[in-house]
Amino acid sequence: MEKITNFFKTFLLFELVKGMALTGRYFFARKITVQFPEEKTPQGFRFRGLHAQRRYASGEERCIGCKLCEAVCPALAINIETEEREDGTRRTTRYDIDLMKCIFCGFCEESCPVDAIVETRILEYHGEKRGDLYYTKPMLLAVGDKYEEQIAKDRAADAKYR
Amino acid sequence: MMELLQAIEQMGQSLLGVAWVPVWTLVKIVAIVAPLMIGIAYLTLAERKVIGYMQVRIGPNRVGYYGLLQPLADGIKLMFKEIIIPTGSNRFLFVVAPVLALMPALAAWAVVPFADGMVLANVNAGLLYILAMTSLGVYGIIIAGWASNSKYAFLGAMRSAAQIVSYEIAMGFALVCVLMAAQSMNLGDIVHGQQGKAGLFGWYFIPLFPMFLVYLIAGVAETNRAPFDMAEGESEIVAGFHVEYSGMAFALFFLAEYANMILIAALTSIMFLGGWLPPFDVAPFNWLPGLFWMLAKMSFVLFLFLWFRATFPRYRYDQLMRLGWKVFIPLTLIWVVVVGAWMQTRFWLW
Amino acid sequence: MSFDTLVFYLLAALTVFAALRVITARNPVHAALFLVLAFFSTAGIWMLLEAEFLAITLVLVYVGAVMVLFLFVVMMLDINLVQLREGFWRWFPFGVVLAAIMVFEMVWVLGSRQTVETGAQVAKHAADYSNTKELGRLIYTEYVYPFELAAVVLLVAIVAAIALSLRHRRDSKSQDVAKQVAVRREDRVRIVSVPSGKKAGPGIED
Repeated sequence: MEKITNFFKTFLLFELVKGMALTGRYFFARKITVQFPEEKTPQGFRFRGLHAQRRYASGEERCIGCKLCEAVCPALAINIETEEREDGTRRTTRYDIDLMKCIFCGFCEESCPVDAIVETRILEYHGEKRGDLYYTKPMLLAVGDKYEEQIAKDRAADAKYR
Repeated sequence: MMELLQAIEQMGQSLLGVAWVPVWTLVKIVAIVAPLMIGIAYLTLAERKVIGYMQVRIGPNRVGYYGLLQPLADGIKLMFKEIIIPTGSNRFLFVVAPVLALMPALAAWAVVPFADGMVLANVNAGLLYILAMTSLGVYGIIIAGWASNSKYAFLGAMRSAAQIVSYEIAMGFALVCVLMAAQSMNLGDIVHGQQGKAGLFGWYFIPLFPMFLVYLIAGVAETNRAPFDMAEGESEIVAGFHVEYSGMAFALFFLAEYANMILIAALTSIMFLGGWLPPFDVAPFNWLPGLFWMLAKMSFVLFLFLWFRATFPRYRYDQLMRLGWKVFIPLTLIWVVVVGAWMQTRFWLW
Repeated sequence: MSFDTLVFYLLAALTVFAALRVITARNPVHAALFLVLAFFSTAGIWMLLEAEFLAITLVLVYVGAVMVLFLFVVMMLDINLVQLREGFWRWFPFGVVLAAIMVFEMVWVLGSRQTVETGAQVAKHAADYSNTKELGRLIYTEYVYPFELAAVVLLVAIVAAIALSLRHRRDSKSQDVAKQVAVRREDRVRIVSVPSGKKAGPGIED
């Protein structure tokens, strides 16, 4: 008996009809698409987007040129050169991140002893010509200045897990 | 409507004389091809929408209201793209191949009736003509694959040629059953053969149900659509026979594929689903014109095509060949004999 | 000259040109494609003779199937053109003699008075005359034995071709499709209901 039903199931393409019933059902299901520019998916405070360099409240830049981030970067996206400033501290004269190489792993942020290099929540940045996505120190500092409030809040929210 | 057409014809005859016939034929051809092209354009949109909906997405909706201008945007984009001719390719054949792909797909429409008498060429051997034309479509693919001077294109062309030639046989035998049932090869007469009091139950998909399935599946295979899109197989051979094509040359292959889909849909509705006949020959149904029923049936079959694509994974090549040669061809051969015997008995009601 | 005659000469010229190119084309793929063109124009000539069934069958069978397989093979071959052309002049006189005999035979048959008077006249038929039906009737009544004989010969050829090339290799692996198809989901999948455990231990919060 079972053999007979199996025979008919095979030749009446029963399983194909079953599959089509499944897709047919989903045809009428509620769609889950998020219409991006108008709607956005929620972001966590650990979101790793565009990089920024932070400053202390005094206005002094945080980065001390230890090059830990350059060493840890798996994509070799960071380039740092340092020099001694007049006040005797070591500072970077050059701090470049090639965002075309960057894989947004967040290791630079993890390795930084002074929380200077951070990744922000910004994801909708773009470049219009070659080289636009090669971020230099002033550009990174500018991003940091602009979004300092959000960055500080995210760091504070993450602090208890560190 | 008919009087208007007759009036136009008389006026044209008196105005142009002998030259009227080619002119009028040209007008008819444009009247078939122009809506067909628009149909193709919107079939691509429908495909993206339907597959999107089945994948719980919403498909294109940014260009125009509900994405209605999307095909137009795609067309303009393709038109302005550069056609790159690869080095080492055969220039002439490379350019001719897309034309050879599209030509038979359009030529076959000459004998397709859209409603009673609404046909460009009412020839007796219509079914044979259609078979001959659809069998020519493979040339575009095989020449494109060879002329591209590329491994992937060549592999795609080889697969596709073998696939189309094998499924053509099953398709042909399925059609033999139809013409046995209708006792005619004229597509109009085949539809007339399905006419009767029974309406829906007089259509050939009931006595020839296995042939209906075989024809539908072989039709999907003939047009290289998923799950039989071995020729394209984007996950294994990049894009198959049209890897090297860009711009309008690529667009012609695209047009040919979709024109073939619509053709198969039209033929399925004519031969198995009663063409322009309404499902029941009673009041609310036969108010609508035959053209409406024809288009409705075509849309249904096209929706099935898209539904298949959204549901089934691609066949493996040896399984595809097995299905064609070891399942379909024996099945159709047996059914030809069965139908022949059945027609000699009193139980043949169609 | 009527329109029919004009079309005939056009198609005939195309056929001869294509046939010539088949043997002179350097590239075998081009030669095969010219053969397709020759078939096409021949089909056109048959169409002029109101033999639409034969014309369409020629396109369907020869152009649509045979030539595709031909191309299939020709495209995959690695043909050395120089080697291919080596024997041309040696065999040329033989070919010429053969061609001359064929031309002589054709002229003899087609030029005879009987053919000119009766055979060359193509009967005009009514519009509802079906070439296909007539052909079918003749094949299955008057010529049924020769027809069946030809079919059997073809069948034997197919069987012979398969028998000659079929070799069972012991080390080849293949799947038994009937077995695969016979398998149901119920044979392979077992759904077990395992009671879910207590909440995960301390230290993990959600």
